[in-house]
Amino acid sequence: MSGSSLIFLVDDDKDFLEMEQAILSAGGYRTRCFSEAREALEALAAPGAERPALLVTDLMMRSLDAGFTFAKAVRSDPRFAAIPLVIVSAVASQKGLDFRPRSPEDLAAMNADAFFDKPVPPEQFLSRVRELIG
Amino acid sequence: MTAHAARILVVDDELGVREGCRKILASEGYDVVTAGDGKAGLEQFIERGPFDALLVDLQMPRMSGLELMQEIRARNPDIVPIIITAHATLDTAVEGTRQGAYSYIPKPFTPDELLLAIKNGLEKRALSLEARRLREERERRLLEVASERSRSNTIIAAMTDGILVINLEKLVVLRNHAAARILPDCADRPLPFPLEEIQSSDVREIVSVVIDSPGGFMILSRQIPLGASTFMVNVSPIIEPGGETSGAVAVFSDVTELAKLDTAKSMFVSLVAHEVKSPLAATEGWLNLVLSGMLKADPQEERRMLERAQLRVKTLRGLVNELINLSAIQTGKFTLTRAPVAVVEAVSRAVEASRESAGPRAIRIELEDAGAGARVLADREALSMIFGNLVENAVKYSRDGAAVHVRIEQDARHVSVSVQDHGIGISAEDCGKIFDEFYRARTEETAAIPGTGLGLSLVKRLTELHEGTVGVHSELGAGSTFTVRLPLADEAP
Repeated sequence: MSGSSLIFLVDDDKDFLEMEQAILSAGGYRTRCFSEAREALEALAAPGAERPALLVTDLMMRSLDAGFTFAKAVRSDPRFAAIPLVIVSAVASQKGLDFRPRSPEDLAAMNADAFFDKPVPPEQFLSRVRELIG
Repeated sequence: MTAHAARILVVDDELGVREGCRKILASEGYDVVTAGDGKAGLEQFIERGPFDALLVDLQMPRMSGLELMQEIRARNPDIVPIIITAHATLDTAVEGTRQGAYSYIPKPFTPDELLLAIKNGLEKRALSLEARRLREERERRLLEVASERSRSNTIIAAMTDGILVINLEKLVVLRNHAAARILPDCADRPLPFPLEEIQSSDVREIVSVVIDSPGGFMILSRQIPLGASTFMVNVSPIIEPGGETSGAVAVFSDVTELAKLDTAKSMFVSLVAHEVKSPLAATEGWLNLVLSGMLKADPQEERRMLERAQLRVKTLRGLVNELINLSAIQTGKFTLTRAPVAVVEAVSRAVEASRESAGPRAIRIELEDAGAGARVLADREALSMIFGNLVENAVKYSRDGAAVHVRIEQDARHVSVSVQDHGIGISAEDCGKIFDEFYRARTEETAAIPGTGLGLSLVKRLTELHEGTVGVHSELGAGSTFTVRLPLADEAP
């Protein structure tokens, strides 16, 4: 296991940031937490900054689809397009919309490699993160 | 014939003719009055009328028979005048009938001739009276129908609901003012016009379905947006007394406000679901983590996580309480236990409770008590909710590092508690609505601030239960001041 890998976490709810951080720490990963997608994008682009091995973002933050916007911004930038991305959401079905991906195509449309309902199940989350980082 | 005995006026200057007539007619049951000349005849007619028939001699002193006939017919056109004359010539007969005489009897005449003339005259009169009665009756009915129709038209025109009547050929044959207003695209179209010319396909479709339905007993209702409003459109067939459908009537009722309320309720449910789901998911997440055994049995770490879960459950309980209280107030089941309470105590508790959320964001809460120990007759818990909500809101909508001022003031009969923040402020438009249930001002800045839109409506209702008022002064970008005014304990009823 590549224990030294860095993972970016984006969520406006501190509890989820911290519990995901605790899970990933238990798995031997280092994390950086951001309460806004904008901050995470800035950190990605900062010159000389350590490149994360994985991105985990909440879906509904400042806007209903802030997570999608973030994922799209990452994917459309050739510098970060290859970084695996996980979307987590407590409101996967909100306001009559169901965001849960049903197929790999759905996931691809979301610009994501994995999707989890919140709270993330610790073991499954960790093993999926391991697969994605490889 | 007529139910009463027919009354006959006999006017002749010859006493013999007069009395002869009277005897003959009276013997047949007629009611007879006599007069000796035209003038006396007119007097009798006026004093003792009405009469059904007039027997009149043509040549009389003072007033001739023709003159008398004219006078009398002017007063009673239905009377049957019969001329009795000794100078029966064609000329006088023609003149007499021109003047309105029914017939004339040449003197001398036999009793039978007299009776026959009278009988015929009265029968003719009865017939013409009956004909006139029927004609008048028909005219009266026509008038009634016309006024009934115009009354219905007036009512239909005045209705606030829009009404269209569409015939089987799908032509719009009636449209009231409200319908013209609701469907402005065909408002100027003269009637009848094809249903197809109505722009709304929903309206065209619902009307067509009813008209085309076999048997014609289908009634359809559909909520249809038209312009900026929403209408409940009810279409029902018009069924003739014989059972045949002759078209359909469409009634448009404005349900815009109801639809808005419906949307507000759905949004509220969705909001509450979100507000409930986040703390529940966070709590579950912490518990999962502790139970997963990932923490390698670090009791300190586990305890920290359980405390985080506890905090989220606490806020969840607060939300549920808010919902229960609001529902209790709305249904009149909220009971107040009122006792004298020092306002400064209640306000201080609220301020202390808010320090927990204000602290991490470096927001200072300053309490200024100029209330000189003001006391109100209040429910302690309700008072905590009122001040707690206002102070917590002030913190919530402040910028990090800002100050919140809480000030207690007292005048002769009231105590005022004002809570001032220097936060994002509220637009004038939103100021009018923020005390409504479920309403939240929506801006870029409030999007990330959690809330159910229940707090301020709870504050307003609780304050009003204490005979108090709550108001707001705000400027967008500069901050808001909420002021609660309550009667002092001695003044409270």
